[in-house]
Amino acid sequence: MLLFLCRRLFSLAFVLLGVSILVFWLMHSVPGGPFDTQQGQLTAATRANLEAKYGLDEPVWKQYLNYMSHALRFDFGIPYQQPQTTVAALIGRTWLVTLQVGLLTIVVAFSIGICAGLYAAYHQNSWLDHLVTFCATLGVTVPNFVIGMWLILCFSVARSWLPLGGWGTSGACLFGKYFCTDWILPVVAYALAPMAIIARYTRASIVDVAGEDFIRTARAKGLSEVALMRRHVLPNAQIPMVTALGTEIPNLITGSIFIETIFRINGLGKYFVTSALNRDYPMIMATFLLIALLWGVTYMLTDVAYTVLDPRIQFGRRSRR
Amino acid sequence: MLNRLHAYLIFLALTPALADTTVGGRQLPADAASYAKQVLRVPCDNTRNEVTFDHAVSVYQRYGCVQDLFSDTLVDLDSLYRPEPAAAESWSVADDGVTWAFHLRPGQLWSDGTPLTAHDYMATFRLCASPDHAWDFAWFYSFIGEGGLRNWDRIVAGEMPPDSLGVTAIDDLTLQLVTEGPFPAMPAAMKFGYTLQKRALEEHGPYYNNDPATSVSSGPFVLTEFDPGYRIVLTANPDYTGYRPPLLQRIEGVYMSPATYFLAFQRGEIDLVGHEQLTPADFATIEEDPTLQANYLRHYGDFRTDYLLFDTFSPPFDKLAVRRAFAHAVDREAIVAGVYGKAKAVAAHSMLMPGFPSADTTGALADLQRFDCGLARQYLADAGYPEGDGFPALEMWMRGEPPATAAVYQASAASIAQCLGVQIQVSNKDGRVFMDALNARPTRLQMGAVSYGMDFLDAANLLGVWMSGGRHSWSDSTFDHLVTSAAAMIGQAEVRDRMFRQAERILVDQVGGVFIAHRWAGDLMKPHLLGDSFRQPDAKGIAGRRWGDDSLWGDMYIGDRQ
Amino acid sequence: MSAIRDTVSHGFAWQATQRLLRNRLAILGLILVAGISFGAIFADWLAPHPYDYARFDRVLLMPLQHPDHLLGTDEVGRDYLSRLIFGARTSLLVSLLVQGLALAIGVPLGALAGYVGGRTGFVVSRIIDVMTAFPSLLFAILLISVLGGGLHSVVLALSVTGWILIARLTRAQFLTLRERDFVLCARALGVPAWRIALRHVLPNALTPIVIAVSFGIPATIFAEAGLSFLGLGINDPMASWGKMVGVSNAYVRVYWHLALFPTLAIALTMLGCSLLGDGLRDALDPRHARPL
Repeated sequence: MLLFLCRRLFSLAFVLLGVSILVFWLMHSVPGGPFDTQQGQLTAATRANLEAKYGLDEPVWKQYLNYMSHALRFDFGIPYQQPQTTVAALIGRTWLVTLQVGLLTIVVAFSIGICAGLYAAYHQNSWLDHLVTFCATLGVTVPNFVIGMWLILCFSVARSWLPLGGWGTSGACLFGKYFCTDWILPVVAYALAPMAIIARYTRASIVDVAGEDFIRTARAKGLSEVALMRRHVLPNAQIPMVTALGTEIPNLITGSIFIETIFRINGLGKYFVTSALNRDYPMIMATFLLIALLWGVTYMLTDVAYTVLDPRIQFGRRSRR
Repeated sequence: MLNRLHAYLIFLALTPALADTTVGGRQLPADAASYAKQVLRVPCDNTRNEVTFDHAVSVYQRYGCVQDLFSDTLVDLDSLYRPEPAAAESWSVADDGVTWAFHLRPGQLWSDGTPLTAHDYMATFRLCASPDHAWDFAWFYSFIGEGGLRNWDRIVAGEMPPDSLGVTAIDDLTLQLVTEGPFPAMPAAMKFGYTLQKRALEEHGPYYNNDPATSVSSGPFVLTEFDPGYRIVLTANPDYTGYRPPLLQRIEGVYMSPATYFLAFQRGEIDLVGHEQLTPADFATIEEDPTLQANYLRHYGDFRTDYLLFDTFSPPFDKLAVRRAFAHAVDREAIVAGVYGKAKAVAAHSMLMPGFPSADTTGALADLQRFDCGLARQYLADAGYPEGDGFPALEMWMRGEPPATAAVYQASAASIAQCLGVQIQVSNKDGRVFMDALNARPTRLQMGAVSYGMDFLDAANLLGVWMSGGRHSWSDSTFDHLVTSAAAMIGQAEVRDRMFRQAERILVDQVGGVFIAHRWAGDLMKPHLLGDSFRQPDAKGIAGRRWGDDSLWGDMYIGDRQ
Repeated sequence: MSAIRDTVSHGFAWQATQRLLRNRLAILGLILVAGISFGAIFADWLAPHPYDYARFDRVLLMPLQHPDHLLGTDEVGRDYLSRLIFGARTSLLVSLLVQGLALAIGVPLGALAGYVGGRTGFVVSRIIDVMTAFPSLLFAILLISVLGGGLHSVVLALSVTGWILIARLTRAQFLTLRERDFVLCARALGVPAWRIALRHVLPNALTPIVIAVSFGIPATIFAEAGLSFLGLGINDPMASWGKMVGVSNAYVRVYWHLALFPTLAIALTMLGCSLLGDGLRDALDPRHARPL
């Protein structure tokens, strides 16, 4: 196990290297530079000045080596969008907020989603099951910016029950700064789609396993439903569930630009989009390296989970002869 | 300063009769709320990228909700858009026509007690020109007049040091500006004459205003609280001695998404919303509610015109007949009435909006691009494409437009396609990709839809953008000659005006662009937001905030909310 | 008895089809998908107006406000029902193509990584890791500047990363299923690996893949809409449901019909695909015909 983890961490470094090359090359191939503002026309001289200042007039491979030599010392540069701070400070400050939103959303979406999925699987083909499927469909097809607006309209404008937005900055909080009222709407809007996805995967995975012969045998042998669920159904159902649900986690903790702008949350989510649109090269590199790191760790942990849930699974070995 | 303000407020609380005077000693109007309630709440856009409060640091990345309140400009513009004294009390030009002297009003102070001098302005201009600073508005001072400010271009290119700029402080109260060629509109252009403090620049760098501890202001407000992305609070400057002492005690900027501005307004969280953030659904709501309708104050804004532009150097738009066909195929009146909304725009047949200097108000130009589908088809047939046969399929580009504006441009394209039987697809491009294609030489933008609003109030500005070698792929030597000569003309206002009108006629007749609509700007305000400068209609019956009239900050106050 | 007779005398495909036809929900799904596809294919005949014909005196009409426009008109004055029908063409084409490509790339790669294992599996898994962090927005911008806009660019831009989840799910399924007894039996009998993977393992692995595809359809539709907002997707006046929903956001407080109908259309498509997908999975794997 330890050897496995060490090897994976080592390969993660290579993955990060590969991602850095890919992203660097891609972002420099895209037309339009960071200083072509949309409204004003920069004089040619001004643009030349800016590019020299940020080292953008050198060949791309040289810029890459320059960037990597700094990055390895954890100096990720200065964002063009906000030259008064550093990339590391900006990400640190904004990601903290996004993490809070994401973790809360994960708790809500996972708990309700798994319960709904379990319930639907247990009452397969009943009206409850169809209701869950129907709600899951709606939860995924109505985009979260529409849901966000409607939530605001219903709970904030038509009736002033909840604040319009903010994260811990408006509205009342329990214990000073925990469980604030302005947490409610963004988390609800953000959690609906993942909840739907989780419910469906849960239900389907459980139904999948429950139809197996060994379950029929165990039931015939007199095992109670609860024990059946706990000892036989769930462990086997969890392999696909872990994959699908595991995918949701890095998505949720990197935030959503829609939720964050509509609910006035000063988080990291918008930077994934705005840095690409503004050609903010340092931020693009940093955000994508962060994504690669998060996903690499998630994949590693899910692979570990596979071996825990199903001890027959072994990596790095060809299938048994 | 803060202690003094607090002491004053405590004093106010103890003497209620004096609760109606500001910290600068002005008496509040009779229908005003008490001074402690003179708080203006404005929305700030949390999707924009913003780095500074000051014009001289970056124009396109300012904290847009509370920008430029830490200094006064050299001039302000009155209700007829003529320059009037602001930080400068008078100005004059020498006989050579290129040397201007602006005389500062004496006795103006920075909020740290030091006097405001012409040396501050000189340091600011030099900063703006310096290649290290890479100011994003640098094009402006090479654009004014023929050749711009003396040595400006060479300094920006790094060929000369910043202190060779044609801006010098003759003494503490006199600022001299020298241009390469005559530029009669210089006073109006000094609407952009903001200043930073020389000492703070040297000590803390250009971003000194981003921190309340190092911020200094010579304007009506000072920075007291700054939480980037959440909240900005400005408080009235008790040491202000300028031309617009504020009646407001505080301005609070709350960050939110533009999609929720109107919602926040309805909830009472903010006091005003600009027209650009009001969606068509919001306008429908406003039109149905008499109170909202009465408090939507329309004004000219920056005289913005929406138009279609072409690459007239390549087929098919190199043929005048094709361009004329397109010009006559746009049903402007119907589009403005149906799609745009009469509250937001008026149909345009030329570049200059009625109300702008040298604009056509008699309808003389209206015929040249009027909607006439039969005539349009005739022109297209003359060009060799009867019924649209053989005409290449076009892709019209828009520059990252929001849905409401995109709808108008799509409607224009649909109007042309339906009338002429040609195929036009419309694509809303990322702004940088658009500008990249437009500015490429030769241009890669075959047909586009854009808007342009004035930078200063003179036909030389709005017509100047159409000159050869600029952003538009159209060229006419008579037009160039007329605009250049008129722009440099001093005195002889009628001759100048006539030349601009002739030039505009050429632009419209030769279809440099197909003009669609002139935009109305406006602000939706709460009924308790009062001030004669924007509540009282002017001679033309237009109320509302005027572009370039920053004196309203000395006039705006909160009335007694019922 | 008849079940045994059926198994003996008819092939796998016939049995699967029979199972599918007996599943009521699957039939419902089939009807939905077929209906929407029919609408998309025959849009030219079904739509009451051309999708790009704009009348500027009939802008933003509500449903049934004018007899000519059953579902009202949009912000440019075009009939909404017609745009909805033509939008089916674009949205279905894009989402089915992208999901089809995702299946075609993701399933074999995932099977390779999960079933074969060893060094190959390791390399393929690392490729998946790298591609997960692929900057699709930047790639889309690049693609448009190189290839120009239009359907092919959109499909290409979305397919580059669309297969990743399916590959991961397939890999996980194959990892666990290859250790099962029936696979060991087949191997012992000398069945070649590819045949085991295709004929024995894959039908059992379908469940999460089917769900991923059914979720992928609305996701693709909205991703295409997102690209359109940057000028990277379908050009106006061509209609697509995702773009219609996106544009409606500015108008939705009063003109709710702009958001409602395309959302319903997307939801119905997704519902139809998931019901049909579930039915197909059930048909191919008879264990699931029984309740819990």
